[in-house]
Amino acid sequence: MGSRRYDSRTTIFSPEGRLYQVEYALEAISHAGTAIGILASDGIVLAAERKVTSKLLEQDTSAEKMYILNDSTVCAVAGITSDASILVNSARVQAQRYLRTYGQEIPCEQLVRQLSDIKQGYTQHGGLRPFGVSFIYAGWDDERGFQLYQSNPSGNYSGWKATSMGANNTSASTLLKQDFKDDANLEDSCELAIKVLSKTMDNANLSSEKLEFATVGLDTNGKVYHKIWKPSDIDALLKKTGLVKEEEDEDKTD
Amino acid sequence: MDIVLGITTKDAVIIATSKAAVRGISILKVTDDKTRQLSDNSLMAFTGEAGDTVQFAELIQANARLYSMRNGVDLSPTAISNFTRNELANALRSRKPFQVNVLIAGFDKKTNKSSLNWIDYLAANVSLPYAAHGYASYYTLSLLDRHHKKDMNLEEGLELLKACIAELQKRIPFDFKGVYVKIVDKDGVRDLDDIE
Amino acid sequence: MSNPQEINGGAAVAMVGKDCVAIACDLRMGSSALGVSNDFEKIFNYGNVYLGLTGLATDVLTLSDVFKFKTNLYKMREERAIEPQTFANLVSSTLYEKRFGPYFVGPIVAGINSVDNKPFICGFDLIGCIDFAKDFIVSGTASDQLYGMCESLWEPGLEADDLFETISQALLNGLDRDALSGWGAVVYIITKEKVVKRLLKTRQD
Repeated sequence: MGSRRYDSRTTIFSPEGRLYQVEYALEAISHAGTAIGILASDGIVLAAERKVTSKLLEQDTSAEKMYILNDSTVCAVAGITSDASILVNSARVQAQRYLRTYGQEIPCEQLVRQLSDIKQGYTQHGGLRPFGVSFIYAGWDDERGFQLYQSNPSGNYSGWKATSMGANNTSASTLLKQDFKDDANLEDSCELAIKVLSKTMDNANLSSEKLEFATVGLDTNGKVYHKIWKPSDIDALLKKTGLVKEEEDEDKTD
Repeated sequence: MDIVLGITTKDAVIIATSKAAVRGISILKVTDDKTRQLSDNSLMAFTGEAGDTVQFAELIQANARLYSMRNGVDLSPTAISNFTRNELANALRSRKPFQVNVLIAGFDKKTNKSSLNWIDYLAANVSLPYAAHGYASYYTLSLLDRHHKKDMNLEEGLELLKACIAELQKRIPFDFKGVYVKIVDKDGVRDLDDIE
Repeated sequence: MSNPQEINGGAAVAMVGKDCVAIACDLRMGSSALGVSNDFEKIFNYGNVYLGLTGLATDVLTLSDVFKFKTNLYKMREERAIEPQTFANLVSSTLYEKRFGPYFVGPIVAGINSVDNKPFICGFDLIGCIDFAKDFIVSGTASDQLYGMCESLWEPGLEADDLFETISQALLNGLDRDALSGWGAVVYIITKEKVVKRLLKTRQD
């Protein structure tokens, strides 16, 4: 392959017009745990697979793939977590800077764009590798209501009704395309999210240990809230959907 | 001393600014407009150091427009006020502060509310039902205290403004050559015919 | 007009009670003798911490925004709200950062520590020297009057209701002897279960 001559630098196009480093970054992400986001009529749900590598691993109490960016936005991460935390931190600072300057929360898309602009910079300014992370953002603002975005290492971002990233994201997308309903509420969307993940995860035994959930919605006063779910919340959802039982049964028949 | 007055009504803000541009003992101009439109639904009126005023107003105007171009939406009047306050506050502790006092009148189309912000050169920012800068405030605030009502309509607001102008013309020791009157409401910013 | 801390006027006070704290301020914002606003609150809330800021109005606004900025980031990093003691040190270091061009403010902090449930209050000078107190803290253009009122009214172990009465009377009567403070007042009574905010009617001159 002719890629060898052109892939060591992020900033140089190959003769076929490709940026290999960016493509490698995308490749790295496609092995990460699956994450999906679904836009509902009254909120947004983010769900992600957490890959437990060892029983000896200290299970961190805090989520490792869900990050709060400000009072109205959360995001899910797929890719190199350490890269993500750099970007998450700068997004948090940007969001607070906007709040201080204008006295209002930053509009969701502006926050996404600022982060994507940083990512883009690393595909053009030489000597450094691009950020190996994709994000799914769930946010709300008073201009455009609930919004779901996805960004990748190239610095491109786009808005979605439902989207996925990470391992098996093509099958997740197919499942989402099949089952997404425009008028579904947050509760139904949470169930859809878990249904999709149950089919894309390698290990069919769903449990709160391997899942992370986050939701964005409006409270009774019409104020935006976000919630990164506790393991008990996820267990309750698993129980409600009845997916745990079914999966176990299938395993036995297999 | 320039006159800058603002009165909120139920769904509009009235801004009045004196037409005279004074320097020392001379009136240099009788058609001086001491306002700049910042966005579709907000207006800044200003007084202070000659030179600083227009420079500062146009700096804010340019920033508000740049924001609109970049983001496809206008900043809300409260956001513009906050931004303006920050610019003044940063300038205050710089080598050369802006010596500018402003009123920012706006109508927020999202909340359907009119707003009036009083900001002085020290960058103290307060939202008020009616406001004035400089000596004009000593003559008019008591009138406004007595007669201003929260839910006044535009006509009542203009009547009140006329009373304020009459008081100023009677008591201020020089001719400020009348005032320009502007209305900020849901339809944007518009000029009104002169008040005698 | 020469002293920046006395241009806009305003006063604030905080007190400790039995398993509760109270913090209160007036609502005036003026330009020397001229009153400009009667709706200028000087108490700001950051999680379970309350900050009173008197002094130059522009610095009151700047600092309240700066602390919003810093505590929001703190909350996301630590995944918990900031404690009163920690916040007091944040205020101190933020003010000392501007040692040779200070913010002209007199901050006071009140809150209940969520770990040991102990009440906490403290005050600062404009460059961040912390004044820890077990009884009360006063600040603003009426601080001399407030010292006198608190000195005579405050006693140890006040229950929440009595603390409300004590801090209100101390503030109200302190304000009446200061031309640059008044135009309404607010009081926060903070217990570990709940926070009650009350607006006080005062003379309007």
